[in-house]
Amino acid sequence: MNQFYLKYGTIISSLGIGIDEHLSAFNTNISGVQKMDGSGFNKENWFLGKIEGLQGNRFEDLLRKSCKELIKNTTVELLTSDRTLVIVSSTKADIDALPNDMFQSTRDILKTSLAIAHKPIIISNACISGVLAINTAAEYLATNRYDDIIIIGIDVLSDFVVFGFQSLFAMSDERAKPFDAARKGISLGEACGIVILSTKKGPEFSVEYCGGASSNDANHISGPSRTGEGLVRAVERTFERTGLKADTIDFVSAHGTGTLYNDEMESIAFNRLGLNTVPLNSMKAYFGHTLGAAGVIEVMMCMLSIEHSTLFKSLEYTNQGTSSALNVIEKNSQLPINLVLKTASGFGGGNAALILKKAV
Amino acid sequence: MKLIAHSYISSKGAYLNGNRVIACDKMEENFLKYIYTELRSDYPKFYKMDNLSKMAFLADRLLQDFIPENKDQENKLNLIMANASSSVKTDLKFIDSYSNLGNPSPSLFVYTLPNILNGELAIRHKWYGENSFFILEFFDAEFFIDQIQFSFNRGNELCICGWIESPVAGNEECFLFLVSNEGESLSPESIMDILNGYRNE
Repeated sequence: MNQFYLKYGTIISSLGIGIDEHLSAFNTNISGVQKMDGSGFNKENWFLGKIEGLQGNRFEDLLRKSCKELIKNTTVELLTSDRTLVIVSSTKADIDALPNDMFQSTRDILKTSLAIAHKPIIISNACISGVLAINTAAEYLATNRYDDIIIIGIDVLSDFVVFGFQSLFAMSDERAKPFDAARKGISLGEACGIVILSTKKGPEFSVEYCGGASSNDANHISGPSRTGEGLVRAVERTFERTGLKADTIDFVSAHGTGTLYNDEMESIAFNRLGLNTVPLNSMKAYFGHTLGAAGVIEVMMCMLSIEHSTLFKSLEYTNQGTSSALNVIEKNSQLPINLVLKTASGFGGGNAALILKKAV
Repeated sequence: MKLIAHSYISSKGAYLNGNRVIACDKMEENFLKYIYTELRSDYPKFYKMDNLSKMAFLADRLLQDFIPENKDQENKLNLIMANASSSVKTDLKFIDSYSNLGNPSPSLFVYTLPNILNGELAIRHKWYGENSFFILEFFDAEFFIDQIQFSFNRGNELCICGWIESPVAGNEECFLFLVSNEGESLSPESIMDILNGYRNE
């Protein structure tokens, strides 16, 4: 079995620019999700994780800035190598380009900013895109055609997504409270996260990628399964492929959107999987639900958990709000973390999971 | 990997394994509804779907007789889909709903993701297997062959791969092909030839 190593690229979200600013925000339980006056279709004041200082076309500006940050943290040789591939995870990309191709600016910017050798592969699979992108990266590495895969998860806020989630009555008029009894819905956010999956360990910090899987609920295109069946199967497949078991997992980074039904579904699934006593958090109250970026940036925070032996508080959680109990992390604590399970669930009934391990 | 069957839907009609099974009249405005009726389908959810899901539903229906019984389709059938223009037509309709028609439409919004069609197929057949949706500039047979190989390496037994395109300008088309994990190899050229054959009909 091949061993692959996941390394930090960079991250930009409402919490700041770069790994250090995100570590600092999570260490002090600061949220980037704030009330945005008049952000709703009827001028509701939704809570959003908005990045300050994006100019002009927000998507293009965020992608360019992220590429600039990435260049500081890696080498020209890696970026431009014929043995480097880029995989992009995004749901709506440059939505303002419509009716023109909303993915064209991604291809153009990556080519001009990073001078990458191959055309990027783009995954657009709703909220599980980021986790799927990392799982897909491992498969390309296994072909021996590449040494490094750069995975970029990116989505920006737009009237389109805000009004859309509003039309589904999925938005919360407070900051999202994942898994809490008083939760009312999601807070949307925007972010770009970049990680590099490599065949070689290297001197920089990295975690081992153990494997992953996906599934479908086969239940409803926009509502979570009542039984958690799809999520259960995605995680079971991940255990099967990695040879790992529930009782070896030290920490679960859940999807935890903050809607009534999603969080309830996850609680049922994690109980069925025997993961109900494992420390678990949702990061959605820190930077909002960042859609195509979510899986990537949340995996980066999992890497920080492993690196700093820190379980981060599930922000905005106070009281059990699901019919099946979970071990939701109520305050930051220090604990050696060896194995982390990351899950995601999304529209279209998709679920995805992956496991990370402390590299030795 | 072995190619078991393939199907194609366009405004010209419905095709299975290279043969036209339903011809659409040039005057037939709603060719998807026409094909649905001609196939004697009974799945009322069809009517609420966007065109991407409708095309996938119809092309998938044609493939159903070819799914091998000895395979675990519930868990080990992998849907690998792609297109170039995502859900652009529905995206524009959704924008129109809140820009011009008074309210953001939830029934349109849920179809503003291309992978929804995977969900529709999974619901239709109770498939709990793996799914993915990619955005490619054009149909790339080599890309699909890679994905199928990855899928079988992960233990899947069947793949339904597809190119489902509903662009702002240009023709709508849906090409699905069913591949099993038996057999030695499948060349990208042979897949490309099949699609070109359909496109030149």
